Amino acid sequence: MIELSGLRRHFGATRAVDDVSFGVAEGHVFGYIGPNGAGKTTSMRILATLDLPDDGDALIDGFSVVNDPDRVRLRLGFMPDFLVTYPNVNVREYLDFFARAYRLRGHVRARAVQRVMEFTGLDVLADKPTDALSKGMKQRLSLGRALVHDPAVLVLDEPAAGLDPRARIELREMIRALARRGKTILISSHILTELAEMCDTVGILEQGRLLAVGTVDEIQGKHHVTPRRGVAVEVLDGADRLAAWLTGRDGVAELEVEGNTVRFVHGGDRQDEAALLRVIVEAGFGVVSFTPRRQSLEDVFMKVTEGRVQ
Amino acid sequence: MTTEPEIITLDVEATEPPADAGRWARAWDAFERLLVRLGDRLNPILVKETRQALKSQQFLFTFALLLLFAWGWSILGVAVAGPGVAWGSHGENMFFGYFVILAIPLLVVVPFSAFRSLAAEQESRTFELLSITAMSPRQIIAGKLGSALLQMSIYLSAVSPCLAFTYLLRGIDLLTILYFLFWVTVGSLACSALALFLATASLIRQIQILPTIGAVLGAAAAAWIGILLGGVFLFEEGGSANFHDREFWVINAAILTAVVAYFAMVCEAAVARLAFASDNRSTRLRIIMVAQFALFTGWMTVVWILEQGFPAVPFMFAIIAGLHWYAMGALMTGESPVLSQRVKRNLPQSFLGRMLSTWFYPGPGAGYGLALCGLVATMLLMLVAMVLDDWVGFSRAARFWGRMPPISTFVIFGILGISYVVAFLGVGLLLMRAIRRVAPVGLLLSVLLQVMLVAFGCGVPMVIEMSSSMAFRRGYSLLHVTNPIYTLVEMVNRPAPPTQTPALLVLVPGAALVVFLLNLPSLARELRNVRIAKPRRVAEEDAVLAALRHPQPGFVPQNPWDH
Repeated sequence: MIELSGLRRHFGATRAVDDVSFGVAEGHVFGYIGPNGAGKTTSMRILATLDLPDDGDALIDGFSVVNDPDRVRLRLGFMPDFLVTYPNVNVREYLDFFARAYRLRGHVRARAVQRVMEFTGLDVLADKPTDALSKGMKQRLSLGRALVHDPAVLVLDEPAAGLDPRARIELREMIRALARRGKTILISSHILTELAEMCDTVGILEQGRLLAVGTVDEIQGKHHVTPRRGVAVEVLDGADRLAAWLTGRDGVAELEVEGNTVRFVHGGDRQDEAALLRVIVEAGFGVVSFTPRRQSLEDVFMKVTEGRVQ
Repeated sequence: MTTEPEIITLDVEATEPPADAGRWARAWDAFERLLVRLGDRLNPILVKETRQALKSQQFLFTFALLLLFAWGWSILGVAVAGPGVAWGSHGENMFFGYFVILAIPLLVVVPFSAFRSLAAEQESRTFELLSITAMSPRQIIAGKLGSALLQMSIYLSAVSPCLAFTYLLRGIDLLTILYFLFWVTVGSLACSALALFLATASLIRQIQILPTIGAVLGAAAAAWIGILLGGVFLFEEGGSANFHDREFWVINAAILTAVVAYFAMVCEAAVARLAFASDNRSTRLRIIMVAQFALFTGWMTVVWILEQGFPAVPFMFAIIAGLHWYAMGALMTGESPVLSQRVKRNLPQSFLGRMLSTWFYPGPGAGYGLALCGLVATMLLMLVAMVLDDWVGFSRAARFWGRMPPISTFVIFGILGISYVVAFLGVGLLLMRAIRRVAPVGLLLSVLLQVMLVAFGCGVPMVIEMSSSMAFRRGYSLLHVTNPIYTLVEMVNRPAPPTQTPALLVLVPGAALVVFLLNLPSLARELRNVRIAKPRRVAEEDAVLAALRHPQPGFVPQNPWDH
């Protein structure tokens, strides 16, 4: 559904996007991650037909963003990383304007506006001026605007930036709901834990170049990231004794004691973890919690990128 | 040029009135549904901006102020006239007061609002959101103009009772009132179009402030000129007495034609500025340029006929033609030589099509060709007219008075004029091509280069001449061969062509030919561009859309045996 091939965009000596190629299958959620200035926004703007690449092309549903932008626009909803509203326009009028701009007419338009307001939870604020909305509500409005013509592809640039935790969770739920409805979503975010939960695949970008693309496991494999899992064991007492007991056991390394909690890295799989828990309990330790922590997208990101900026 | 995307539409749900509803209720319901359907077809920007304007304090303030001034002037006028208002000739003065009150919102507020409306969209980045909808740049400009027109009509309707009042007074007639209203509306619309074009230029970071200054000064100047012209017409030039003069209407029609032609060009230029980079931004502008010039040719012919072959007309026509095509050529030669695939999909296919319409497609070489073709065609047209005149004796009166210069003078003037345009545009094109290898450049630089070239051509001989006191006294010499203005003026101003004419006829066309030949390879490269096929996905979608638009009729039996 989304296909980028050899995309380049240079601003003078700065290579904002440098030979980026990847594809996103229909109904998949693709996480686009990278440090600030990596070229995420530039490539998303090219996908949204706001900018032209110097070289290469991007296809949305088989249509080129360079040569058929009008066809791409009907299939794509773009949520930029900035929030803009019109003065003296309320929520309903704002969405109605964009629905008209997408050539929705009659009751199709009225239903589209109502549907979007209900989905984003803005129906209760339908008559509120858009410039009086909170940031979270403006983000919802921006998502609603991108959805009003029911596009098959959504490009969301930092949708959760600057939101409070509650608004962020609500937005994440909305994006999940959209994914369940079969939308193809390309999303960029700095909150990697959230992206890892939502995305089928991720692309890691640095200095305009795509360093890695695939599922988190695929990237781990390709970049030789050892699949290790962190474990935190909280006991009633005797944390030091537990640490001593664990020292030298197979697959256990990097032991740390913090209060009643012992943290360590475990090289085994889930079954090994279950066996370890059993022997700890059998050894007489009063285990309060046993929490394995998977290798996260953050770990992969830190391993793949080098923190370079241009 | 581009395929219009499919319109997603559904008929407005028919909410039938209850069966016991009366005839009026049913009619009202049908009328309401019709209004809803019509509202659906309105430009989205017009709808949004009307909603915004009705809530905006700026609009309410201007409207209230307009009403206040109109009422104030009514009270003041009647008070000053006293009982004489009933029989005295006070209509003219009262009307002019209302005209001034109306001209300020129409010529200042409306165009400046249009400017701010588009400039603010760009500053606040709402334009980015707008540009990725299904709306075309043409619809965006049309919407902004529609919004300006709506504001105008509201201001006009606010003052209309006052204008009706002046009609009841002595000293003013209906035609004068309508004449003023017509021109102030046309002026307001033209200024709004110009303001929108200026707003598109506010995107250029280096000159961001200039369009705002231009819009403010332009709006003030428009109001001042409008009021001044109105006053002169009403109080100095006899007002409605002019309406019986044929020449008056000819001049008005000519001005209106020019306004319409330039309005179309400015609107299309604004559309081109907003269009996506891979779009064809040139063809429509080039068609307008040619249409504009055809209209101008028509009017010059009318003037020549009315003036009974006044000899200055062909020269005036040739000078304006030269300036027109030179200015347009300077813009066109600044275009990028690379055609996008989107443009290539629509290139003419047949040999005849390519011969006739390649000049209208984007590209500096094609633009150079169009400018030269336009200029040569104009000169030939004028030459044919002069030969015919010589044969038929149309301008006998002029020749009797010894004012008609021989055709040979016009031929020399034409050859030199064309050669200068060929040479200057060609040198500019060569320079642009060289600069483009180092850095991306646009139309602005092309125009600047032409200005510099002409300044250089005129200035250098003058500097040389001024540094030599002997040469200074000699007047025109071959030193001034690079100065097109001085050379062409010398051709027309003397009873006989200057003695340097034979040398000029070798040097100037020779230089033009060399420059033309140097540009020929790039021109040929542009002519070799051929149409490319639509991508498979585009062709598939077009076929689906075509099938939806024109469904194949089902089987319809034509006779009893078809069953």
